[in-house]
Amino acid sequence: MNRKILIAFLFVAIPTFGADSQWVLQQSTLTYHVSHPLHQTDGVSHAAKGKGVCHAGQCDFLIAVPVKSFDSGDSNRDLHMLQVTRGAEFPVVTVRTRLPESAAASATINADLEIQFAGQTAQYKQVPFKLETQGGETHITGTIPATLSDFKMDPPSLLTMPVKNEIPVRVDMIWRQQ
Amino acid sequence: MLRNIFRNWHSCVPGLVVFSLFVTFAPSLMSQTTGTGALTGRVTDASGGVVANAVVTATSLDAGQTQRATTGTDGTYKLELPPGNYRVKFEAAGFKTVEIPSAMVRGTEMAVLDEKLEVGEQSNGKPTPVPPDNLPNAPSSSSTAPSLSDLGISPEQTQGNAREQALLDKRTHMLKIHQRLGLITTIPMIVSVATSLNAGGKSTSTASRDLHTALGGLTGDLYFMTAYYAIRAPRVPGTETRGPIRFHKIMAWIHGPGMIATPILGIMAFDQKNKGEKVHGIAQAHGPVAIVTAGAFGAALLSVSVKF
Repeated sequence: MNRKILIAFLFVAIPTFGADSQWVLQQSTLTYHVSHPLHQTDGVSHAAKGKGVCHAGQCDFLIAVPVKSFDSGDSNRDLHMLQVTRGAEFPVVTVRTRLPESAAASATINADLEIQFAGQTAQYKQVPFKLETQGGETHITGTIPATLSDFKMDPPSLLTMPVKNEIPVRVDMIWRQQ
Repeated sequence: MLRNIFRNWHSCVPGLVVFSLFVTFAPSLMSQTTGTGALTGRVTDASGGVVANAVVTATSLDAGQTQRATTGTDGTYKLELPPGNYRVKFEAAGFKTVEIPSAMVRGTEMAVLDEKLEVGEQSNGKPTPVPPDNLPNAPSSSSTAPSLSDLGISPEQTQGNAREQALLDKRTHMLKIHQRLGLITTIPMIVSVATSLNAGGKSTSTASRDLHTALGGLTGDLYFMTAYYAIRAPRVPGTETRGPIRFHKIMAWIHGPGMIATPILGIMAFDQKNKGEKVHGIAQAHGPVAIVTAGAFGAALLSVSVKF
């Protein structure tokens, strides 16, 4: 009898405390926004790849996106963006964060992000994201308050007028737990 | 004086064409003679061990342009640079930043600059450029944290390409000059169009025509310098032209020939007027061609300046 109870306990306990689970990025839209007195420009990428590995109640996430994959609708502007962000030297942007496994059940989360971009590393504390979970998929939206100076970039200029330092990045991702 | 110069326009045209060609291609010929040099070396620590992933930054003391390279697993780096004098900075995580104020790169030989780094904090307090997936203090640096290879991203995909970055840097540098010169060109162009009202009518003075001609000449010179920096800016292989820049380039096929035809027709009209004749024949097209040219130039400028 005790043996049966022990086996039953193990079946319940292993998924709860012991086993690792993973999250995989299913779909993503990352959009940077650049403001100029004559222009408001958005560059969009759907090429991000991401994975989260959970262990002992904590999940480590890594998201990577090629700099070249951002499309602003103008090839000349995209090449200038690639030059300014040193995208040929540092072709991949990575975002890392660690979240408690229980965060998946919340409607909002505040994440500490570490972003490597243009050969620099910047950390953003307590960035708010909204979560909607439906049918095993979690939809995450939010905006990363990035600036050019965070990554030691000189603001590019058009007609001698520089763009604003703020380049907020809108995040729209769908994750699936495996 | 201009009146005398342009009296025999037939003899002026070849000279004008030669001058335009000189203005257009002289910088190109000059740049072709300069060649490319290289700066290479090995970065080591105090014990002589190689320092991988150190970032070497060369900043031209003449042009202000920078190029970066990262040392490989053997601690070596190589930067392909135009000849000149460079300030070279060595940065690596856990080592003091070292800056060499001046290093000469010549076009015909490879300059060697080895550097020994001392252990310590970085002197400039800036974030350390660290290659992806190599951060000891990353939030996800636990043993379970996913890596780039877990995402299906190979090391080759994260490898920087200093040559491509140098190409992009040069392209941006030249197009910035193109943009500034284009803006400057609009000023004499607008004034040329405005002064044409006093230059072509029945009761116009030679002074008005001279002023219009001088402004037209200045516009032409600035225009061809502007065009040079666009034409000679390096192309990035595999890039398809999309968006407003496409319209900008199409407009160049209108204002480019227009900027050649306008002064030729203008000289013909100028000569006819100075002989006391009414402008006739093909010279009559000077005004309409100039207007179309200026319109196409303005449209090209607006297409990349204002979002429609």
